[in-house]
Amino acid sequence: MSTDTATPEAASTADRPPSPAPARAPKRRSWLGLWFVLPFVAVYAVFMIWPMLLGLYYSFTDKSLTGRPVEWIGLENWIEAFGDPAAMDSLWNTAWFTILSTPPLVVLGLAFALLAHRARRLGWFLRLSFFAPFVIPVSVVTMVWLWMYQPAGGLFNHYLGEWGLGGDHLWAFQQDAMGSVVVTTVWWTLGFNFLLYLAALQTIPAEVYEAADIDGANSLQKLWSITLPLLKRTTALVIVLQLIASLRIFDQYYLMAGGASNLATENVFIQYIYNSGFVGFRIGYASALSYILFACIIVIALIQFRLLSRRED
Amino acid sequence: MRNPPSPPGALSRRALLTGTAAAAGLGLAGCGSITGGIGGGTTVKQWNLLAGSDGAIMTTMHEQFMEETGVDLKATTFAWGTPFYTKLVMGASGGNAADVATIHLSRLQSLSPSTLLDAIEIDELVDAGLDPEDFTPDIWDRCFSDDRLYAVPLDTHALVNYYNRTICEQAGVLNPDGTLLETHGVEEYFDLLRAVKDVTGEYGTSLDTNAGWRQFWAWYRQQDGEWIFHEDGFELDDDKALNAIDTMWRMADEGLCPRISDGGATAANFENGAGGLVQVGNWEITRFRAFNEAQGLDFSMTEMPDFFGNRRTQGDCHAFVLPRHNSWNADVRKATVDYVAFMLQNSFQWGAGAGHTPAYLPVTDSPEYQDLEPNAEYSGVVDNVQFDPDVWFAGSAARLPDEVGRVFAGVYSGANDPETALAAIKDVAQTMVELPNPID
Amino acid sequence: MTAVQTRPEASERAPRAVKRRSRIRVTPGSALVYFAAFVLALLWLVPLLWALSTSFKPETEASLGQPIHWLPQEWSLEGYRTLFERGDHVTWMINSTVVSTIVTVLTLALCVLAAYGFSRLDFPGKKIVYGVVLAGIMVPSQALIIPLFDVVSALRMVDTYWGLALPQVVAPVMIFILKRFFDAIPRDYEEAARIDGAGHLRVLWSVILPLSGPILAAVGIFTFIGAWNNFLWPLLVANDPSIMTLPVGLGVVAGGYGLLYAQNMASAVLGALPLLIVFLIFQKQIVKGVAGVGLK
Repeated sequence: MSTDTATPEAASTADRPPSPAPARAPKRRSWLGLWFVLPFVAVYAVFMIWPMLLGLYYSFTDKSLTGRPVEWIGLENWIEAFGDPAAMDSLWNTAWFTILSTPPLVVLGLAFALLAHRARRLGWFLRLSFFAPFVIPVSVVTMVWLWMYQPAGGLFNHYLGEWGLGGDHLWAFQQDAMGSVVVTTVWWTLGFNFLLYLAALQTIPAEVYEAADIDGANSLQKLWSITLPLLKRTTALVIVLQLIASLRIFDQYYLMAGGASNLATENVFIQYIYNSGFVGFRIGYASALSYILFACIIVIALIQFRLLSRRED
Repeated sequence: MRNPPSPPGALSRRALLTGTAAAAGLGLAGCGSITGGIGGGTTVKQWNLLAGSDGAIMTTMHEQFMEETGVDLKATTFAWGTPFYTKLVMGASGGNAADVATIHLSRLQSLSPSTLLDAIEIDELVDAGLDPEDFTPDIWDRCFSDDRLYAVPLDTHALVNYYNRTICEQAGVLNPDGTLLETHGVEEYFDLLRAVKDVTGEYGTSLDTNAGWRQFWAWYRQQDGEWIFHEDGFELDDDKALNAIDTMWRMADEGLCPRISDGGATAANFENGAGGLVQVGNWEITRFRAFNEAQGLDFSMTEMPDFFGNRRTQGDCHAFVLPRHNSWNADVRKATVDYVAFMLQNSFQWGAGAGHTPAYLPVTDSPEYQDLEPNAEYSGVVDNVQFDPDVWFAGSAARLPDEVGRVFAGVYSGANDPETALAAIKDVAQTMVELPNPID
Repeated sequence: MTAVQTRPEASERAPRAVKRRSRIRVTPGSALVYFAAFVLALLWLVPLLWALSTSFKPETEASLGQPIHWLPQEWSLEGYRTLFERGDHVTWMINSTVVSTIVTVLTLALCVLAAYGFSRLDFPGKKIVYGVVLAGIMVPSQALIIPLFDVVSALRMVDTYWGLALPQVVAPVMIFILKRFFDAIPRDYEEAARIDGAGHLRVLWSVILPLSGPILAAVGIFTFIGAWNNFLWPLLVANDPSIMTLPVGLGVVAGGYGLLYAQNMASAVLGALPLLIVFLIFQKQIVKGVAGVGLK
């Protein structure tokens, strides 16, 4: 899935299977274990470690998709990358997408979870409706939404016109495609945050509310002073996961806003990498760009790890 | 792809947003074979970018080929321009992709033939019934790289001038035999447009304002302008370039052409009579013919008007290439070359149906083709066609025409005056010159 | 990449809470909540319902500029029929199934073996190897596409099933999850088998795996969904339409069918269907998987 994130949350100790029994069996050091690990490590080495090293090497060369001989060019790609306005624009577009999409994804995810937590008897239906979009392939999502966004006669503009809301164009879809992509993304991926919040809500024992009930607190007060504080950690997790997912935006944007573009400025960063390498042939330069993305994501992933390890304490 | 140089089947940005995004449909075979090549007989995978109305003609020819030879031809049409070339290059770099592909000959060098294409032996062609003598030397020579043959030309296509006979007759710009008056120089042609505009009430000519590159190159080359690129710069004749850009500016300023018009609108304006003439590629003939049959449109075509002393026009050739293969199956290789030969030998249909001028001389020299209308009326384009500059970022759908074309769209719309536009295209060109060359 | 974790305790707790709540009587406040939740859920389904409805319209009724009807005026299977006549949709569906199955089977096999090795066996360099594998969790696959394509191209795997599948098998997070689960399985269970002289493979097969049903299901389902929905990698490595997976085929080729909306929506519906079915069948595991780890 394109919004994927792949960092394990160190689940709380309570999540573990029954009674951990650490290293009681006699362990002998032998090479046998290597054979168990080897098949994975082999694939891992070929498709993860080798490309990482190769990419780093290429970023100092003029490697081209055409396959001509490679020449070492030192820091030229890196210098160019930091001075390339189109690269910086696309990095900004990725950031802008992140800024626009994260708040609704977090806030709505929480709101929907609160609703679903209260409306338990609709549980199955709510989970289906909110989470099902998440398992649908991205190109299906964009096909359906582009059909609804049709400027003339699409579902949105039809009802906007009918209800007298600006005739034929919603402001968000006027300037560029970003608004449309954000709305589609919220619909598509909200279910994930929704489930995270829902699960967190379900772990809050009912007892904590009982004292408040005795004090005669109303629902709003309980929400504000009990529920939300207890969800702080989940919220931190949701935000970090969301940031990482958003920085990797490519699929929806590519499909909705510019798959055919010829190194246009209106790109997101991964698309710019794609264009530099596969459209413009410049594997070396695209490798340098990749490492910039890599660095951004690593920083956020490290924050996530810190958050999670604190949580495990 | 905001403003692509208006290819056949080009999509406006809006069209993109409305979901007609990427490539056009899969080919014909329709036999639902799963991983290619399963099932008896030889399968040839062909990739093309002919998403326009010429694609339909090609499909018909493919069906004939399969019927005659029993070879299973699987054709895939990708979206015109960058998406096609990206897939072609990535597939060729992988070595397991298409057996044969159609490209623009102007893009041959930018595809790094020595590493991404497989060379074609003259002997193979001769065995398949072709002969190097069957092509005009200037096109044939363009198919070589480092003395090896990498492409076989299928046609020449170019910007031509369509005219609506009904409107032009009312405007009094037709000869007694019903052909368009020949004009000389910008002023004479503008007078003609003014007369037509008086009749239509809207435009004289409907042209594609996103395809400014094509018009610029035609008019710049009519003045013998050269655009030569070096390692660290280029030579452009400012005065001649300014003349060409000024022509765009004045034409739009006076309302002789639309200010903003993409490929679809351009054709539609001609069909519904908003413009009495239209300067687009010869490939639109299929569309206009279909419109004629449906609703009536009496039109013909002639060469690019003489703006600066001759009738040179911008154009290109479609050509077949063999993307690099990790390994060739001898049967597939033979069927592939046979396919190329079949398409050339039957390119009469390609000319008659899609309006392209076949590159295969036995076809164009045939009396049958010589009598073909309206092709005969613009047969001169083959001698007048001007290829894009010879540099790795030029050629059909490449970055130079794409980005320069965007500047010219601003000239038509009135946003860029000619001097600004000239400075802008020089900036664009300088930026590209400074890019490291990824080809050689 | 996906990550899952079963969460035995949480699921035990949930039913209790449900019971508690269900005793609460319907108040105006909760009626409002139910109403709001229901309306929102319905609203959320609109895109899918609209696609479904459009797919059953004849092309003329589906086209733009026609008045909007929520149900087809005239029911038609035209869109679906043309789709099947073209045949490519079926090809992509088969390709997706093949690739996702290869990825899932290989991921399970390799990760189970490796996780067992890391959990139960000691070998020289184990800490370092495990550390290197874990570090891979942080590597965003998108940042690797450029050199990865080069590697796969050098292996001559572009436009092959293996080229599509193998890079997706690299899922270090699955090893982390499985190892943690294996670590927590008491050794006593294995002891008996060990005493009987069973080798490690036998222990893994007949002791560990039977105890790991839910976690394997979760890992398997998430891997399958992830592989099925992967877009960027197949977009790069499947250039030939006959090898494309469903998301790429729909995105790259089918988009060009142009203005045939009924047909477009039919392919969207068919594209969404397989995983919606998977979701409906495995809803419980999926929801638990997301909830348990907080990750996909």
